[in-house]
Amino acid sequence: MRHPSEGVLRRLVDEPAGVTDADRAHVAGCPTCLRAVDTARTEARLVGAALTTPAPVDTDAGWARLSTTPAAPARRARVDRSRWGAAVRRPAVAALSAVLLVTGAGVAAANDWLPIFQTERVDPVEVTSTELVQLPDLSAYGDLEVTREPGTEQVADAATAQARTGLAVPEVAELPEGVTGEPVHQAAGTVGATFTFSAEKAAQAAAAEGEVLPPAPAGLDGSTLRIEAGPGVAAVWTQPTGVPTLVVARVVAPTVYSSGVPFETVRDYLLSLPGLPDGLADQLRDLSTDAATLPLPVPADLVTSSTADVGGAEATVLTSRDGLLAAVVWVEDGVMTGVAGSVSADELLSVARELR
Amino acid sequence: MPRGRVDVRTDLEEVFRGHYARVVAVAARVLGSRDQAEDVAQEVFLSFGRSAVPAGDAGGWLTVAATHTALNLLRSGRRRSAREEAAGDGPAVVPDVADLVITREERSSVRAALARLPHKQAAALVLRHSGLSYAEVAAALEMSPGSVGTTVRRAESVLLKELNRHASPE
Repeated sequence: MRHPSEGVLRRLVDEPAGVTDADRAHVAGCPTCLRAVDTARTEARLVGAALTTPAPVDTDAGWARLSTTPAAPARRARVDRSRWGAAVRRPAVAALSAVLLVTGAGVAAANDWLPIFQTERVDPVEVTSTELVQLPDLSAYGDLEVTREPGTEQVADAATAQARTGLAVPEVAELPEGVTGEPVHQAAGTVGATFTFSAEKAAQAAAAEGEVLPPAPAGLDGSTLRIEAGPGVAAVWTQPTGVPTLVVARVVAPTVYSSGVPFETVRDYLLSLPGLPDGLADQLRDLSTDAATLPLPVPADLVTSSTADVGGAEATVLTSRDGLLAAVVWVEDGVMTGVAGSVSADELLSVARELR
Repeated sequence: MPRGRVDVRTDLEEVFRGHYARVVAVAARVLGSRDQAEDVAQEVFLSFGRSAVPAGDAGGWLTVAATHTALNLLRSGRRRSAREEAAGDGPAVVPDVADLVITREERSSVRAALARLPHKQAAALVLRHSGLSYAEVAAALEMSPGSVGTTVRRAESVLLKELNRHASPE
């Protein structure tokens, strides 16, 4: 039998019960390993002694100091817990906020809301269907409250949609082949949500999965993020059967505000949560360096993505692998525009480039 | 809004009194200075007071938090340099728990070496020497339990080289 590793021999010094019977039996009869264990024990003692610092402490004085410390970061105190308890949980918004949360960077100040993430472009993040299922459910890590409902409604025409939202509905110059008739217009207001981290909920959720969470960075517990998106407008063309053939939509892209710990801390912690697939975490980490790129989760097994130029902006082009559906999305000046439909990507790009 | 005392959990005092000495010792293991270790302990207990960590898990949580906070302080440069500290304290020789005699100078150089270790390696070493089990160290640092021994051993070898360099007259 080969010798157990140095790490196993080291553990034998501290926790013999943590080493397998086979390894213990080997070491007991192997002069080389016995010597190595002896050396490890001696060196551990030496290092332990060098690190030990006699520090007689005065607990009463320590407590007196702690209990008179001004409550600079006691943000949590202002949170009305009962209100949070009644928080509405919506998976779609939770998913949205999860995506937004992990993309931001920048600084957060003590008391004021600071914009820490403003969408300037979108970028596809490839996920498999399995990974989507594995994504940590953000509502398990804190309290989500929808503060503003978008109140989406159908309106009479483009002018009404613009009056409601302040956004002009993009006009299509020439409809692709197969798309006919007049569009139906939709208008939506601003959607807002706040997310408050809870170390307790996170620990419970992790325990239910048999996982142990890394300790939350100082200040994360109780800190809050506010997410806003919208308003938005859309024009939808449908076949007589009711199936949409072309959608042109414009929406004020999401912004995230933070009132808590630095955003890198939040992001890095979220990306370290158990259950987040490594590849996905890496993609998100790469994206999140500029605090301006909104990751668009794309099921890689169903959709291919590429990029194209639309009026000087870099657009993401998505095409379903069966070729039946396509979409083009881009962001300009904080406004996100998307064109999607059951037409080819080339046709959609023509529509996108000729929007007025 | 007026800022008064920290609005904290009601069990804070009990947890503080039960764990303060241990938390200071953990931080002192990293920093080699009681004053700085006490500062770290204050910071750690403030964080704990705002957290919802169950009181039963407080020991492990505080040890891990103290280790990370102290290691960050050790590297931050806010710490007095090893040389200043040695000069200030004089060349006293202190007998140690393990009947070993280690000079202040050696302690300082060991801490300088600790500051140069990768954070995870240094943290694993400190947590283990602070009494956490291999499984607890693995969980706290997101390592596999099997790699804790190797990581700790490697860190000890580096620090020991530093000790030997001082011990052998050149």
